[in-house]
Amino acid sequence: MRLRTVGRMLAVVVALAAFSGTAQAETAAEILVKMDKTVNGFDDQFMDNTMTIINIDGSKKSYRFSILQKGEKRLIRFSTGEMKGMANLIEGAGRVYAYLPGQKKVRRVSAHNMQQSFAGSDFSNDDMAFTSWPGNYTAEIKSQDDNYWVLACTAIPGKSAPYPAAEAKVRKGTYQLDAYTFFDEAGKPIKSFENSDLTDFGGGLMRNKTVLVTDLRTGHKTQLEIHEFKVNQKVPDSKFTQRELEWGR
Amino acid sequence: MKHKTTLLFAGVILLASGSAKANWAEMISLSGSLESDVRFITDNWRGAKKGQGYEFEMNRNDINLRLRADPTERVQAVVDTRLRFFGFNEAATLPELISRERIDPFSFQLTEAYVAVRGVPWSKMDIKIGRMIQTWGTVDMFNPTDNLNARDFSDPLNFMDKVPNQMLEIDIYPTDWLTLQAVWVPTFKPSQLPPSAVLGFALEYDDNGCVAGFPAPPLDADGRAVLGSLFSADGPFGMDLDLCRLNFANPEVRTVMPKAGISNSQAAARAKFQAGPVDFSLSYYYGRFKFPVAYTAVADVMSPGGKTSGFVTDSKTIDPKKYNVKYVAEVMYPRMQVIGADFAYSSDNPWVPGFKAEAALILPEKVDFGMSAFLDGEKLDLGKDPANPMRTITSSNGSGKPFVKATVGVDWSYSDIFYINLMYVYGFFDEFNDRFGLHHFFVGATEFKFLQSELQIRMSSVLDMTDLSAMIYPQLTWIVAPAVELSFGYMHFFGDTSPRDPLDFATKSRFGQKATGRNVAFMKAKVTF
Repeated sequence: MRLRTVGRMLAVVVALAAFSGTAQAETAAEILVKMDKTVNGFDDQFMDNTMTIINIDGSKKSYRFSILQKGEKRLIRFSTGEMKGMANLIEGAGRVYAYLPGQKKVRRVSAHNMQQSFAGSDFSNDDMAFTSWPGNYTAEIKSQDDNYWVLACTAIPGKSAPYPAAEAKVRKGTYQLDAYTFFDEAGKPIKSFENSDLTDFGGGLMRNKTVLVTDLRTGHKTQLEIHEFKVNQKVPDSKFTQRELEWGR
Repeated sequence: MKHKTTLLFAGVILLASGSAKANWAEMISLSGSLESDVRFITDNWRGAKKGQGYEFEMNRNDINLRLRADPTERVQAVVDTRLRFFGFNEAATLPELISRERIDPFSFQLTEAYVAVRGVPWSKMDIKIGRMIQTWGTVDMFNPTDNLNARDFSDPLNFMDKVPNQMLEIDIYPTDWLTLQAVWVPTFKPSQLPPSAVLGFALEYDDNGCVAGFPAPPLDADGRAVLGSLFSADGPFGMDLDLCRLNFANPEVRTVMPKAGISNSQAAARAKFQAGPVDFSLSYYYGRFKFPVAYTAVADVMSPGGKTSGFVTDSKTIDPKKYNVKYVAEVMYPRMQVIGADFAYSSDNPWVPGFKAEAALILPEKVDFGMSAFLDGEKLDLGKDPANPMRTITSSNGSGKPFVKATVGVDWSYSDIFYINLMYVYGFFDEFNDRFGLHHFFVGATEFKFLQSELQIRMSSVLDMTDLSAMIYPQLTWIVAPAVELSFGYMHFFGDTSPRDPLDFATKSRFGQKATGRNVAFMKAKVTF
């Protein structure tokens, strides 16, 4: 009996060691790819969100908007606030258009505008256009514990990484990106993202429902709450055109 | 014919109606805004009479409602309306005091009302028909290729508004990088002018109540010499330009409107290209210039004790001791063709500004201005050549030769904090290379944002580099809460209110002349829903 118990324990230990060995064998690049697949690895995705901007004094204001995304392409429409009716089309890095309802005109947005915040929030337009971790960063495992890998990421020169460096906290097992921080060239932290409230949006589609962004230089915060999340809807490329931008005006 | 057109369009909609939506709530979306605008005149020298000013110019409330219905994925109907309350009592008599419309006047405007059908009869083609507003061109605001809709300058603080018009628009999207557009506008609509525009033809009076200035007709040097000779000591009036001896009735300006025939339709076509960091387009427009161009003028003069012509002099206001003058002018809307090109360049590098440029080659109709004068019922001989006396002064007010209007601009921003937009503009909205010519402008706008863009300070200015008049327009906007904006600002014009040469149309100051508007301080509130 004792022998049998010891045998079982040994089997468990061996199995754990084997599993652990597999986990350790995963390279940072592989983890980054798997995490990105979990977060962005869909043919297309649609999100309906409320963005709450939280000032340092605690006062809040909220805007509702939707994002339709396919690869690098995004279509963002505001449905409340002073920007209601405004829409942004991101065809790719450097190809951004805005529909301005006041002028009834589609205007090409210059790259310098991408540095601006997204609707006064702590998201920049660059953050919103950022759709691929492995396409923009290389990674190294900085540390890990039982639950997380912490990846130190460095921007790939010539790509469209929004910041020079990042640190990503990836949950082991699920590859969910639970938190990440962006750094400037001097290595100072600029912005942190905390993702929480892992939710099943239907059919086992898991996604953190809440994203809290903190500007670490000012303490200003923005919370994004996802109301609806749909993926792989076979959205055609024609949804990401100026024709569509004008049609929705 | 009308019946056939209706049937045709109904057929197109039927073709497009594939998957109808389940219920009305899914189909309809409503949006809009409430706006309140209070303005105070901060001068007393730019009005019709000296000393008028330091009073409220505007006390306006607008309710804007936009209803969009999407009965199917391929059909869209839009109705965009504006209910405007002007805020000033217009009841001037006791009977009018029983009318709410006079005490609280308002207007209802239909900004847009159109039906759009997508993918019919070809998947890459859209059709829109109805009352619409089009904006062409890549530069900001000063678009010389944007000629389909007339401008609405009823609000001098708003250069963006346009007069809607009925039109048929066909858009074709053959590839990702090419869009073709054709628009037909059956009838002509002129631009809406600011309330101050009438001052462009108003008389000036001095402190003694004498006429101090009158609208100069667009004459060349020879024509001005003939006009000046009328007022010399040996001229027919023999008064050596003593304007105190004139009893000048308010000038009357009549418009010569194009008839509603098909020959006065407007048509335009455009090809838009996307090529990497550059978007550019080529366009063509056939139609008319939307601002009035001086065409004819008649001065009817009755000397002291003389006879009336019975032609234009208003006998009720005749002063038997003075020269009584009535001036009637006509303005028209010349035809033009516009060949346009524009581009926008956007670099991947955030430190490189965005570049935009737009140019229009305008092939205008020739406009010959003619002026005649009557004295005591007899038509005066205003001929320049004694051997071949003409009875009118004629002068070109638009040579008919092609000319160019253009805008070149750069814009750049630094994070959320700072935005700058600089433009060189050749030819303002209402300039047609007539006797006034085309002026050169420098336009600058800077914006500083604070508190996560809740507070915005914007400074806009336009300098006329030709006559050195200018306009400045500082504005503070506070986004009190999402969808609620409060704005405070000021608009001030610099430049001479009177032309340097009272007989020379071309020496009017662009922003100095009273027709441009008043210096105002304003407060606006806007709620968007």
